[in-house]
Amino acid sequence: MSKAWQTPRVDSASSTLDVGIGAGGLATADMVLNIGPQHPATHGVLRLRLVVDGEKIVSAEPVVGYMHRGAEKLFEVRDYRQIIVLANRHDWLSAFANELGVVLATEQLLGMEVPERAVWIRTLLAELNRVLSHLMFLGSYPLELGALTPVFYAFREREELQSVLEELSGGRLHYMFNRVGGLKQDVPAGWTLRTLDAIKAVRRRMPDLENLLTDNEIVKARTVDVGVLSRDLAAAYGVSGPIARASGLDVDLRRDEPYLAYGELFAPGGPGRVPVRKHGDCYDRLVVLIEQVRVSLDLAEACVEKLRSLPAGPVNVRLPKVLKVPEGHVYRWTENPLGLNGYYLVSRGDKVPWRLKLRSASFNNVQVLTRMLPGQLMSDMVSIMGSMFFVVGDVDK
Amino acid sequence: MEQRPAVPGDTGETERRDKSGFGLGMVKGLATTARTFFRPTHTQEYPDVKPHLPPRNRGVIALVEENCTVCMLCSRECPDWCIYIDSHKETLPATTEGGRERQRNVLDRYAIDFSLCMYCGICVEVCPFDALHWSPEFEYAEFDVRDLVHERDRLHQWSASVLPPPPPDPAAPPPKEIAAAEKAAAKAAAAASAQGGPTDKPGEGRTK
Repeated sequence: MSKAWQTPRVDSASSTLDVGIGAGGLATADMVLNIGPQHPATHGVLRLRLVVDGEKIVSAEPVVGYMHRGAEKLFEVRDYRQIIVLANRHDWLSAFANELGVVLATEQLLGMEVPERAVWIRTLLAELNRVLSHLMFLGSYPLELGALTPVFYAFREREELQSVLEELSGGRLHYMFNRVGGLKQDVPAGWTLRTLDAIKAVRRRMPDLENLLTDNEIVKARTVDVGVLSRDLAAAYGVSGPIARASGLDVDLRRDEPYLAYGELFAPGGPGRVPVRKHGDCYDRLVVLIEQVRVSLDLAEACVEKLRSLPAGPVNVRLPKVLKVPEGHVYRWTENPLGLNGYYLVSRGDKVPWRLKLRSASFNNVQVLTRMLPGQLMSDMVSIMGSMFFVVGDVDK
Repeated sequence: MEQRPAVPGDTGETERRDKSGFGLGMVKGLATTARTFFRPTHTQEYPDVKPHLPPRNRGVIALVEENCTVCMLCSRECPDWCIYIDSHKETLPATTEGGRERQRNVLDRYAIDFSLCMYCGICVEVCPFDALHWSPEFEYAEFDVRDLVHERDRLHQWSASVLPPPPPDPAAPPPKEIAAAEKAAAKAAAAASAQGGPTDKPGEGRTK
């Protein structure tokens, strides 16, 4: 059934468009259009250089680097505690997951054993952080589509979780709670119960947010079959995370290469599962995000339950005054909220790394826009770009 | 890579298409907003209602000057070197007849540039004498960026609002201060019993 307000959708593979100016044999000249770095339609300072023929996008090129802060070079003159400060800032929505990669790599090179309680608290915080990041995009993506309401619901839930994280770490965004060998300090008394309450409150109210998004006809009209990313293209461009899983690329490091306590959580019968969709359009990316929030809440709850049953013990190990990491190199990647986040750590036995290469998820996820946008309409550009769920700091590092 | 089966609950095609065509999805959303309209608000009217902040909140760094020995650990460990310390050495005369003169550091300037501070808390963590603390105070925005450099008197003022740390989780090991005190008490008790004097129960030192 076709409705008046629904624009006819065109397969991105086919280049013939029958709608918009510039279609139907009208002679038009190509126009170069810069979207950003400062533009209301972008989020952050990602610049898109579009060549448009009427309303049709002929080619697109993301111009990155407006927010380059030289994080990798700065890592080389910081000791391993100071690196955590910087590392949690490239993707400011998933600070905890960013910290985690650094300390996991360092611990692996040191051959350090982390106390069990620390492992479970880390897993719990990583999952809460994932929920926070996803909720942010579940709020901001409809905002880009023109829906003002969902962001308030998303932020109410974010606030709920942020307050428990703030109570634990003192920070709402940059937790700075990981240390090599464990965590900064132990959890306050009663924190696990408050976390459990927060998780349950968020889960109870998630249907509110879903009601506003998944069934909404306008959201569907703007996202279903728009910006289709095929599985092969996603794999070719190294796209990862919820975007890749929406295209049917079933990769999740939590299950495929378990770190922290994920081996136990993703074991058969555990709460871990990986939402995968097959269409690869904007709608599937949105739905995967919602589904991932539910999974992460389940995982977080399992972590709290486990934490409450663990015997007493420390959450960190005593470190020497000057921590020197033995010579060697290691690559550790983790499943960040936005995709694969890897650190290649090369140490020459100093107290600072010789090189710490950062593989951030958003960088690859944004590059695929060069292939996704051509053939699309200008009006779908925002919808496609918003659904790629990137953080510009993560692109530009 | 082999394709794994889709997760249960992935209804796929059916929910992607609008089944009714009467905008029922939008009605569902409107019902949600209508329900929320009749619920109490969850927002706080900030300037009138102050937020309740936890003790660990990293709002502003407070300086307890008396505890500072000018060891410079904080300014050296700071990732962006935003702590400025000036000091000079002072010679104290010998306290006893024929004793040695002693030198001590005197703090001349202690300033933190909060326009550069990344609020990581490393300085508070490394301070060996508890001279630095986090205070949940946050209302110190300025019109001039230069005013964000807080000198020692301003940093000292913040120490009034420092909250006591929350009690740790029951599963957490006791703080190292308690462990050290227990060890010292046990040692003292052992020494006392070796002398044959009245013995204290070990561990009594901690209840001081």
